[in-house]
Amino acid sequence: MSTTPTTAPVIETDEPTQLQRVARYLVNHPHIVLIGVLIVLIFVTGAIEPNYLSVSGLRNSALFAVPIGVLAAGQTILMLTGGIDLSAAMIATGAAYVAANQSPKGAVIAIVAGLLVGVVAGAANGVGVGVFRVHPIIMTLAMSGILLGLFTSWAQTIFSGSTRMGDFIRTLGGGSIFGRSIPWAVIVWAVLSVFVVYMLRRSGFGRTLYALGDNAVASRLSGLRAWRVLIVAYTLAGLLGAIAGLLLGGRVGAVDLQLANNFLLPSVAAAVIGGTSIFGGVGTYSGTILGALILGVLQSMLTFLGAGQATQQMLYGSIVIGLSWLYTRIAAAQ
Amino acid sequence: MTALGRETLVSGSQAPWRRWARRHGWTIGVWVLLLALIAYYATLIPRFGAFQVASIVNNGSPLVFLAVAQAIIVIAGGIDLGVGGMLVLTSVTAARLMEGQPLVVGLVVAVAIIFAAGAINAGVGWIINVSKVPDIVITLGSLYFFQGLALAILPNPAGGANEWFRWLFTGSKTGIGSNPWPAIVMITITVTAIGWWLGKTRQGLSLYAVGSNKTAAYLSGLNAARVKVLSYAIGGGFAAMAGLANTAIAGRGNANTVGGNLTLNSVAAIVLGGVALTGGIGSVIAVVPAGLILFFLSPILTAMGVDPNSAQVVQGVLIVLVMMVTGIIEWRRRLRS
Amino acid sequence: MTSITQSLLAARDVAKRYGPVVALRSADLTVEPGEIHALLGANGAGKSTLVKILSAVIPADAGRISVHGKQANLRKPGDAMRAGIGTVFQDPALIPDLSLQQNLRISKLDRDDVLPWLERMNLGHIDLDLLAADVPLAVLRLLDLARALARDPQLLMLDEITAALTTDQAEYVFELMREWKARGRSVLFISHRLGEVLDSCDRATILRNGVHVAHLDLAGVEESALVTAMLGEELVEKVEAVGDEAAVVTAEEVESRPVVLELRDVHLRDRVNGVSLELHKGEILGLTALEGQGQNELFQVLSGDRRPTSGELRVEGERLNARSPYDAIRSGLAFVPADRHQALLPQRSVRENLSIPLYNRARRWLSLVGDEEQRVEQAVDRLTIDVRAGRQVQRLSGGNQQKVTIGRWLASGFDTLLCFDPTRGIDIQTKAQIYDLLREIAGGGSAVLLYTSELREIPLVCDRVLVMYAGRIVGELPAAAATEEALLTAAHGLNEGTAS
Repeated sequence: MSTTPTTAPVIETDEPTQLQRVARYLVNHPHIVLIGVLIVLIFVTGAIEPNYLSVSGLRNSALFAVPIGVLAAGQTILMLTGGIDLSAAMIATGAAYVAANQSPKGAVIAIVAGLLVGVVAGAANGVGVGVFRVHPIIMTLAMSGILLGLFTSWAQTIFSGSTRMGDFIRTLGGGSIFGRSIPWAVIVWAVLSVFVVYMLRRSGFGRTLYALGDNAVASRLSGLRAWRVLIVAYTLAGLLGAIAGLLLGGRVGAVDLQLANNFLLPSVAAAVIGGTSIFGGVGTYSGTILGALILGVLQSMLTFLGAGQATQQMLYGSIVIGLSWLYTRIAAAQ
Repeated sequence: MTALGRETLVSGSQAPWRRWARRHGWTIGVWVLLLALIAYYATLIPRFGAFQVASIVNNGSPLVFLAVAQAIIVIAGGIDLGVGGMLVLTSVTAARLMEGQPLVVGLVVAVAIIFAAGAINAGVGWIINVSKVPDIVITLGSLYFFQGLALAILPNPAGGANEWFRWLFTGSKTGIGSNPWPAIVMITITVTAIGWWLGKTRQGLSLYAVGSNKTAAYLSGLNAARVKVLSYAIGGGFAAMAGLANTAIAGRGNANTVGGNLTLNSVAAIVLGGVALTGGIGSVIAVVPAGLILFFLSPILTAMGVDPNSAQVVQGVLIVLVMMVTGIIEWRRRLRS
Repeated sequence: MTSITQSLLAARDVAKRYGPVVALRSADLTVEPGEIHALLGANGAGKSTLVKILSAVIPADAGRISVHGKQANLRKPGDAMRAGIGTVFQDPALIPDLSLQQNLRISKLDRDDVLPWLERMNLGHIDLDLLAADVPLAVLRLLDLARALARDPQLLMLDEITAALTTDQAEYVFELMREWKARGRSVLFISHRLGEVLDSCDRATILRNGVHVAHLDLAGVEESALVTAMLGEELVEKVEAVGDEAAVVTAEEVESRPVVLELRDVHLRDRVNGVSLELHKGEILGLTALEGQGQNELFQVLSGDRRPTSGELRVEGERLNARSPYDAIRSGLAFVPADRHQALLPQRSVRENLSIPLYNRARRWLSLVGDEEQRVEQAVDRLTIDVRAGRQVQRLSGGNQQKVTIGRWLASGFDTLLCFDPTRGIDIQTKAQIYDLLREIAGGGSAVLLYTSELREIPLVCDRVLVMYAGRIVGELPAAAATEEALLTAAHGLNEGTAS
């Protein structure tokens, strides 16, 4: 045995070509690409149906994007930690169901009761994932099943009665201000967006989310206690899911237990399109917002084209596969 | 560690039966749990006979096949959220193609569907290899793709199946009867065959190897990419078996069945069956009773006078509990090493 | 060796780079039939990369490889095996969840193929029904060797096989190597233990910075000559110059200072067996050991990552019972792991990496800490971190990454710094800088516990040094007496007179 001397690996870099430089710039600023895609989609849709390029046309896309965008805020937060919430749609449905049920007691009680559903279910997810280390997919899938079972049986017992949302929530979900131009739901989403973007970029909690998702071992050795971060993160995601449920329920008016089912995959897709990595550690909510808007416009386009549920599902599936492939390629090229 | 400690460990101080019990304990436990639940169920209802057994085995068989599909893929280190979609897709395709056809055509269609499903899912595995995107993202995509395709093939519940084809999976030409044997034989043959292949052949062991430690498997000369494709292909084939069983039971196809929920059940079943989600550990033999137990919860709760909707709650809680227990076992094992 | 006989293996101009990092620039290696050939080089010189290329685990970017004079096209591990190259890799290539028998099965081997070899290594009684996960590491390495031998390779490549073995087990390996040579086959042997190399090898190829710098006949060569060849003349001198200006404190002075960290009879399973030590304010206490003597586990305990099975830690006299690293950090212990994968957030910026410990407590979660930017800037300045590629820490050079792992604690504050081999695999300038910084930290009144595997650097930076062997502290030396020879003697447990 002797000493184990070391020498350093040598670093070499090549001068990039013009094309590589443009590519690298776009890779570092994916938002520009996403905004480009959004604009192109809007004009393509406008070409298919000229009436689309109007306040009411764009308003419809925005209304569709709102529940996706709010649910996807929760997904983004969790995906940054390396997790995912497959119970988000069921939380949204449950929250809306409870809110509709409590609506006769007044708007405040209805909203608080609805949000409580999200907080409780989200916190339970957080305890399962953070404290008991259950895999996020399993924990949230199981939570989804538990909630469906609970609400199906409660629908006939403690929550039998009203399934209609109160007026206030309906205005929030489906009403508009400034004539019929800007929906209240979009304003709620905008306020939430400011909050989420601030949290991810400019708060200590945001730092911990990225750190945990990027390298859990390093985070632990730096003194981060993952279970605290995860409980807060999953609770927040549950709360956002509940808000999405209230907005969606308000727009639809009457609530059933399938309310938000079709929004689960789009919420994951929006985050994936926006560049959030399922491995954690990389992503922004502003990207997710663009992802949700792109899906909203896509929805309008498919409606104009007369495409049914079948085409939509196949398209969403293909988009998720195609884009995640593309992003992985880009990340590898870096 | 002292030299003495090593000597005894390497020469195998454990009694053979203890080692056997340690390795197969989970499998035995799940089988015992199933039998205990059936015995308990028999005391709950006034008449327990062939009809009840047939009902459990027949109606539980799609979940059993689907869980075996998931188990094979997870053992090899993947996870396939798309199996539920594949079940729906193959089920409606079978219902559409078999309607009004004689048994021979039905069998040809069935075999063709199994192979086609294997080929399509092999493609999914191939995409995962080439794209290097995590399994769960790609198969989340394939889940919805399959579901959409199923809707395109059969927009409304329709189609049919030859009555003898239905007998093959249910022991009855109408899908309801008191003969559990065809389903039992079908499950026993396929699961024993795949279990033997996994545990005894070099190719089957390579699935465990890649799922357990990809790097070491590669250094041993195994081709991890090929193993992934193989596991997805076989998984796709078993998902198709589940789809065919589903068509045989219902007598038609329904594309509105939510594939995602079926996937959840398959994952729940393998977790209960002792398959490690991290890959490399588990047995398809234990997955069979696990699938039946999950299906069986709902009739038991009904018989107990509990709202059958709570079956879903019990299922969810059960899965989380199993995950916690296995998580703690794994954590303790790591501490000791 | 004459050129009349055809070389068994000839590799020419082999190159490999991982992104911007060049692992192999242009390496030549020739192995003749019937010789034991050593492949030597410092950490990061490219030895393991070359072995992986020769066994077709990774593809080379450039270069030619010929076996018996014929161009070999090695694409996957199976190709190398068929070409007669058998390899025992640094990490065991056995599947943990399969039994040993099943492991042989997937390698297309039978019990009878390996049994003769296992008997030669005193493992003939081994129960092949055991799961590989339940078998000790040393036995796994020997099983790997038996598996490689069973394929009857022309060239046997052994990458650091002796590192995990006991002395008698290593002796079996040397015996088999000699036998292999006697059969007219060849062995390529990689080891950090130069003594072993001189005892058992005929010739050596030395790599430095991914280039072969020497092909030597080992007869009559001194160990020091090998070290010089591995490091290069000027580098050896530079390392020696590092500690010159540092004011090393005398032993009496240190003793008089208050104790900041104290360990009393700490045990961790069978890995740490009763360690007691005292770390004084303002001192740099060195710790060294051979691989796997419990030092990793000791640092896990110190950093709060694992709880000791018995014994106690006292920080400034207060008992510390850490449930997680958070508790250790709160009481002032900052841990810098050797493996940067355990310390860095590779996809996040330098700033986020440096500031993350600031957000360990939930009450700081609502916004960013007001002086975050100043703290980060100060740490960057003090360590002269090159932040040009600072958007993602993974794009920094190894030395800069290591600086970030230390700078993190400068930005958030600490009382005692626990450094585990902080200079492993980094360039000489950064190394000097880190040692200077450690002295500066100690001079400022903090304490430093420094584990290092680089023995010759200990007297340059430490005030005194402890030597660990088999989970115990077996020796304590003042810096002045910590010559390489003295440390090595202690590190091999020879002072105790037992070698078990």
